[in-house]
Amino acid sequence: MRYEIRVEGTMSETLTRAFPEMEHVTMSGQTVLFGPVVDEAHLYGLLNRCLSLGLRVVEMRRLPE
Amino acid sequence: MAARDDSARGPAVGYADPLGEPFLRTRFAVPARPATFVRRPRLTAHLDQALDTPLTMVNGAAGAGKTLLVADWAARLGQPVAWLTNEAGDQDPGKFWAYALHALHTAGTPLSAGVGGSPGDLRMVDHRLLARLADELNGRDRPAILVLDEFDRLAAPETAEQLEFVLHHAGQGLRLVLVTRTEPLLPLHRYRAAAAMTEIRNHELAFTPEEAADLLARHGLRLPAEAARALVERTGGWAAGLRLSALAAQQSTDPETYLKEFEAGHSTIADFLLAEVVGRQPPETQDLLLRVSVLDRFGPELAEALTGRPDAGPLLAGLCRQNAFVEDLGHSWYRLRPLFGEILRVHLRARDPGLEPELHRRAAWWLRAHGAVPEALAHGAAAADWECTAGALVDDLAIGRLLTGLRADDLTELFSGMGPEAGGPAVDLVRAARELSEHDLDHGLAHLGRAEQSLATGAAAAAGRLSCVLLESLAARLTGCPDRAERAMADAAPLRREVPAHLLAKHPELTALLLSHLGSARVWAGHFDAARAALTEVADLPGGALTELPREDCLGHLALIDYFDGWLDLAERRALAATDATRHCGGRPFPGAGLGQLVLAAVAVDRDELCRARSLLDEAAESGPGPGVPDPVTEACRALVTGRLHRALGDARTAANAADPAVRAEVTSPWARADAALAVAAVLLADGRPGPAAEVLAGIGRPGGPVCAADVAWAQLAAGRREEAVGAADRLCTETEGRTGPGVTVRATLVRARAAAEAGDTDTARKLLARALLEARRDRLRRPFLDAGPGIRRLLDTPPLHGLAAGWLHGDGPGADAPPLLVEELSGREREVLARLAQMMSTQEIAADLYVSVNTVKTHLKSVYRKLGVGRRGDAVRRARERGLL
Repeated sequence: MRYEIRVEGTMSETLTRAFPEMEHVTMSGQTVLFGPVVDEAHLYGLLNRCLSLGLRVVEMRRLPE
Repeated sequence: MAARDDSARGPAVGYADPLGEPFLRTRFAVPARPATFVRRPRLTAHLDQALDTPLTMVNGAAGAGKTLLVADWAARLGQPVAWLTNEAGDQDPGKFWAYALHALHTAGTPLSAGVGGSPGDLRMVDHRLLARLADELNGRDRPAILVLDEFDRLAAPETAEQLEFVLHHAGQGLRLVLVTRTEPLLPLHRYRAAAAMTEIRNHELAFTPEEAADLLARHGLRLPAEAARALVERTGGWAAGLRLSALAAQQSTDPETYLKEFEAGHSTIADFLLAEVVGRQPPETQDLLLRVSVLDRFGPELAEALTGRPDAGPLLAGLCRQNAFVEDLGHSWYRLRPLFGEILRVHLRARDPGLEPELHRRAAWWLRAHGAVPEALAHGAAAADWECTAGALVDDLAIGRLLTGLRADDLTELFSGMGPEAGGPAVDLVRAARELSEHDLDHGLAHLGRAEQSLATGAAAAAGRLSCVLLESLAARLTGCPDRAERAMADAAPLRREVPAHLLAKHPELTALLLSHLGSARVWAGHFDAARAALTEVADLPGGALTELPREDCLGHLALIDYFDGWLDLAERRALAATDATRHCGGRPFPGAGLGQLVLAAVAVDRDELCRARSLLDEAAESGPGPGVPDPVTEACRALVTGRLHRALGDARTAANAADPAVRAEVTSPWARADAALAVAAVLLADGRPGPAAEVLAGIGRPGGPVCAADVAWAQLAAGRREEAVGAADRLCTETEGRTGPGVTVRATLVRARAAAEAGDTDTARKLLARALLEARRDRLRRPFLDAGPGIRRLLDTPPLHGLAAGWLHGDGPGADAPPLLVEELSGREREVLARLAQMMSTQEIAADLYVSVNTVKTHLKSVYRKLGVGRRGDAVRRARERGLL
């Protein structure tokens, strides 16, 4: 399954390296991280990573296959 | 406990957590507030309500200012507050409770000795301890206040459940304050509905423009109200964002313009600002910050080990004064504020990808050299520096921790990344310990041999050689080689004097394991007195998480010796104690796991409770150590019980097949061999071939244990060797008088009674039978009478003896107490399972027979038990018979 996580603000190039498994794109003041998510544990792990880096998650959704 | 080097892990307290490591004092300290801290009356006023509600939750994003808010409130409260900063390593509820109890203790909450001690086990916390704790808190005049900071790091759901239990039952005696990033797993809705909860959430923690202006003023920045409002809007009032923007502004040439123009909307605040603030620090400070980001806490010395420069002390003190990223934990220990630590680690990886493992490696060596074992292990594994990691474990004499099952899984996980390229004696020892504990004898012995060889040359440290000795004793036990175990024990004595005393005190499991393996090897060899000496020493040790499994193992072995001596009652009590401990501990299977159930099964066979024996055998198989090379004593005991059960069921041939244990042992065990021979003789006797049977029996030699000797005497009598049989029986009755129990004397007396009856001396036979019945009655020892043949049974049916046997020898008879009505009908499938249960089929056999999985059978069994109101399969079958369901 693939997910996209929308984060407020523009993440620096350095910070995006905390998510090496995801691709990212910046649009209208938000950073969209997207890519394959192995399972729920991985998903919660990603959210936790956002939390611990002080990122504000605006939206998260599963992408259609 | 010996004095410890405080400089290695941060200051430690003399008490020890369940793993024997001293508590870290920094985790109980209320964090210090920086000079720029803004006290916000609206929040402290809200927090004051925490004194009136059992539960308080301060819930907000990283860097929202939760900890400082609660710390400030707690410090100014004027009454003691128990503070605990949780760490990611506190996954085991036992460790959490050890720290939580110590936090209460530190805050001066008087707790009685029963509660104040550490919980025995790490994974399972004794419920009684929690109940006692709640009860004591409930009786207090003034509630104890317990703050759990960084509660989100406690992942184990049972910890939340246990907290809820204590909180609920402590009534007005406890005020719990949780500081957390995520919603905790407590039934918050109930507390909310009952107005029993104070809640401060992210939006309330956000700074108002006035508060933000105050904060900036403390950084020497004046900002018009309009600009402050704009800044709060841009940062969302986020404390970390405001703090960082103040720092960034301070460093710029025109702070006000900086704050006005700084556009948070275009970037994630913390990342951007941190890069900005760190980027303006001098290079050596930047380097220091990045490098220490791999550590949970650090002092100047450890920081210097990572930077390789001698200036960490003043740099850290300076950073702390600036209140940028570093928090003072007291006693010259610091930590990075969690949010900044995370972001700095990302920067470290980006800037110098190869550096992180190297930093872990340096930290590991430094921590190891300063005796901080748990931290050294974690960093060593992170650096994949196995020589250091294994060395730290072996030097600490902690090799037994890989075997005892408490932290064995964590340690196994820690070393799971260790590849074949790692080398050195310590690495080989760790490999051998893992392999032997997984019963991979060939590899384990090879690695142990290699470690011994490299330790033999040169003046190796005593800890390493003592670790070898411990593994030697395990190898001796698993290979059934008593001489090897005795040699190991003899080698251990001088080494124990050489290693530091505080290490031995810290690792009681080492001695317990050594003695229990030695005891097991001695039981195997039939040296019961010597075995009892070693085993009793362990069984008498004070209970504790570290020695629980070896103690249980020893209790199982002692129960087996009791059984061999004919003391059924004693064997049963000891075995129950052993199995109770198993249930209590859980965790990794120990070599002798299941031995307690096997002894119980042997007792059940003697009492002719065959269903119960069968279900106990099943239980033992389930709790056993699983695949791999089996433990000789346990396997031989399993073979013995299975054989006896089949003989009791009248199937001598199956019994003979079952009685041969599939064990690879260096030395044959006299009792295992005698039992196998008895099974063969039983088949020959059943086939009407007493001559060959007698030959088999004559070949036994030393039978190994009085019960086996009595059984051999009985078989000899059946094989027509009356003189030998009676001689042996007489000897058993006289020589071991007082040392053997009914299991022996009843059997021996029956031999003499039958011999007398066969010789036509009915009077003597009656007298002897009366004595046997009286003796057997208390222990409900039925089996020998049921096997005694038609001649004896006829005598037993005659008047005086019949009275002695009434009520216990032939079962209780139906209708003794009227069974309660069945509340719920059994389903068709449940009846099928029950019918197979009554045929003594094992769970696996039932599953195969019904073409369903073992788990399905277990589910059916559970609902059968529930519907019948029983807890065991034996009881289920009996109750079903009483009700005519079968």
